[in-house]
Amino acid sequence: MSKSFGATRALSDVSFEIAAGEVHALVGQNGSGKSTLIKLLAGVHEAEEGSAVEVDGVLVPLGHPAASRAAGFRFVHQDLALVNDLSVVENLGLGRGFSTGFGGRIRWGSERREARSMMRELGFELDVRRPVGELAQAERTGVAIARALWDWEADARVLVLDEPTSALPSAEVAVLFASIRRVAARGLGVLYVSHRLDEIFAIANRVTVLRDGSRVGTFETRQMTEARLVSLMIGQAVLRSSAPARPRGGTPVLEARGLTGSEVCGVDFDAHAGEVLGFVGLTGSGREEILQLLFGALPRRGVVRVAGSDVPPGSPRASISRGMALVPANRHRQGLILEMSVRENCTLTDLRPFRTRLGAIRRRGELAEVSSWLTRLDVRPRDPTKTLAQLSGGNQQKVVLAKWLRLEPRVILLDEPTQGIDVGAKALIHGLIRKAADEGAAVIVATSDDEEIRDVCDLAYVLRDGELVAVRERSELSIDELGLLKHGGAPAMPGGAVRGSTG
Amino acid sequence: MSAAGDVSTGDRHTIGARSDGGDRLHADGRVQKWLARSGLERLSALYLWAGFTLLFGLLEPAFLSSTTFQLVFGEGVVTCVLALAFLIPLAAGIYDLSVAAVMSLALCISVYLNLHTSLPSAVGACIAVASSVAVGFVSGFIVVRLRVNSFIATLGVAQVLLAAVIELSDNRQLVGNFSSGWSQLGNRNLAGIPVVDVYLLAIALVLWFVLEQTPAGRYLFATGGNAEATRLSGVPVDRVVWGSLVASAFVSSLAGVLYSMRNGLFVSTIGPGYLFPAVAAVFLGASQLSRRPNVWGTLIAYFALAFGVQGLALSATSVTAWTQPLFQGVSLVVAVALASRRR
Repeated sequence: MSKSFGATRALSDVSFEIAAGEVHALVGQNGSGKSTLIKLLAGVHEAEEGSAVEVDGVLVPLGHPAASRAAGFRFVHQDLALVNDLSVVENLGLGRGFSTGFGGRIRWGSERREARSMMRELGFELDVRRPVGELAQAERTGVAIARALWDWEADARVLVLDEPTSALPSAEVAVLFASIRRVAARGLGVLYVSHRLDEIFAIANRVTVLRDGSRVGTFETRQMTEARLVSLMIGQAVLRSSAPARPRGGTPVLEARGLTGSEVCGVDFDAHAGEVLGFVGLTGSGREEILQLLFGALPRRGVVRVAGSDVPPGSPRASISRGMALVPANRHRQGLILEMSVRENCTLTDLRPFRTRLGAIRRRGELAEVSSWLTRLDVRPRDPTKTLAQLSGGNQQKVVLAKWLRLEPRVILLDEPTQGIDVGAKALIHGLIRKAADEGAAVIVATSDDEEIRDVCDLAYVLRDGELVAVRERSELSIDELGLLKHGGAPAMPGGAVRGSTG
Repeated sequence: MSAAGDVSTGDRHTIGARSDGGDRLHADGRVQKWLARSGLERLSALYLWAGFTLLFGLLEPAFLSSTTFQLVFGEGVVTCVLALAFLIPLAAGIYDLSVAAVMSLALCISVYLNLHTSLPSAVGACIAVASSVAVGFVSGFIVVRLRVNSFIATLGVAQVLLAAVIELSDNRQLVGNFSSGWSQLGNRNLAGIPVVDVYLLAIALVLWFVLEQTPAGRYLFATGGNAEATRLSGVPVDRVVWGSLVASAFVSSLAGVLYSMRNGLFVSTIGPGYLFPAVAAVFLGASQLSRRPNVWGTLIAYFALAFGVQGLALSATSVTAWTQPLFQGVSLVVAVALASRRR
């Protein structure tokens, strides 16, 4: 089996081959061309002149999904595309069609037997009548693989797995790997795309590294180290040891001890007044979860203290009363009420200042305060009666900020504060973040945008697999190194060196 | 301003896609502008009301007599109070389908106590209200603590209450023996206006104040708009939902007490018939005025429909039995369809 590629815009002259029975890993940073390559193989993308994909020496016509399938390519995408409410049998049948008997009745008995034997071949012993939503993540991935490979004996040749473990708890990864090995043992080639490098070494025979749309090389994993792989992905070896810890001033405003959720595992850190902390990490590292845990939006274990007193878990209300504020990553779901007005959204966090003696809300006072915030944050249009649905994304985000900043919180948690926002609004929001810190708040940002860390944060905390693995000050921060740390290329810092964890 | 912009780009887009429909779309645009100017969209029920008055007034001069007004405004009060009860949790996105059953329970308890004890009617009514509030607590517990969808929870509670009233009344009609003072409270006229309308107005005013003027109302609508965002804003959403179901049961029981004043009797079939007109009034009312469930829109919508029903009954005597449900069903669907189209 071999593939070679000519030039496309996102991909230039990449060629490599996958042997039958081999697990071949494909790695590269975001934007390195991995997804383009997969789409090309799937026939979703048109390739340019001179590109060629061969399976068993036969040329595969490009740009036709049906041709890709006929040639033996099978795909399991990151989101798995399973229907959670349906059973395993039903999910398998959706891809392939059901065998039916008299009157169009589905032959459930034989369907179940086939599904069970298919899952067993992949190494899963499970009740195929259970809804997919009740299964463990690894089992769900197994169902997706089973669906992709239903006819593997007939003509499946290459199984492409795109980030199959991104939603997988680490304990279940081994289960999935066992079934991938079974697939490879059947003589299929497996193309395994992941950015969790430790997995590459656990499952893959060879690894192809992409960078900026070009192939850096293909290597035997046995002769590779994680550090070298990362430097190949990033382009330069920038391993530096961190500067010695410098004690930060005063008592911390926020202390987290043993903070644990479904991804985050035992994180300790402190935040001081006047500083901006940044949390970085890959998807699934705990970065998306940590601020929600601190705020009590998700159930947590461990201790969170604000100004020395414990904050009870699971209660955003209690967190707010201690001076915390959360600007969530998904503002439509968690941050605002689309059909309510700017005024109503802004003041929802605290209506007490506007209470009259009868218990009504004083409209004029409310409007005055909201208008002043709209001016301060340059929200357009400057009209408190507009509903949030009538505002652009950047202006919506400013309203979310206003609703929290008006409380003058001591601890401001910002989850992806500038995601999907235009450049102007982004600069303004970064300015607000700095200003809030200068005025004495402790600000904590979680972001997937490394430049955001560089632009606003005093300290960057790196999360990997739910644990805090490194801390970098702004002065010693480089974006390349952040990439290394996130992927696990640089040696993790010993626990004691993570500042603040011993306070 | 921006809404107008949206409309025009939308039109251009559609014209581009379907060149043959140009004339129709232009006409649509004109109609929309006219609708916006006349306020017809936000006050359609008022126009409807005026239309019915005119139409049936012409068809049947007896329609415009004070009897019609007395009848509609007097008989409609119980339904209107029930509609207001349904409105409270609906603001928070919670369906309370047990309003009519709670009313029936309160009525049954009132009449039962009147027949079997020597308690004054007012005390009996207080016991009926207290029992209904307890039912509201239970519904709140089921929805908030047991995490049962409100639609299902209150549907279940309604059936249980039906069982309770059948047992309590021995599945027979209970004819109360209320004092004339008690029934006067429900049947007197004040300056030609049924006194119950004064009660309705008072309940509506209190509810309007709470829903539109106080933080509690703000929390209800915020919960209905986006419960998760509201919770993360520090609002105790569970308490809001629970409280709305208790308040709804309380107001429903007032409807039951009003019924005992007006009619003084109980049959287990009384409750269910009230649910649809009450719910229809709330949904139709939500398309009026502020475009979310609201007190005055609900009342306007109810009376507009009630006048239509009454007019039909007067002008076509032979078909009265089936006109009312037909009329109510069709107008609810049409009104809500129009409101959805606008969005």
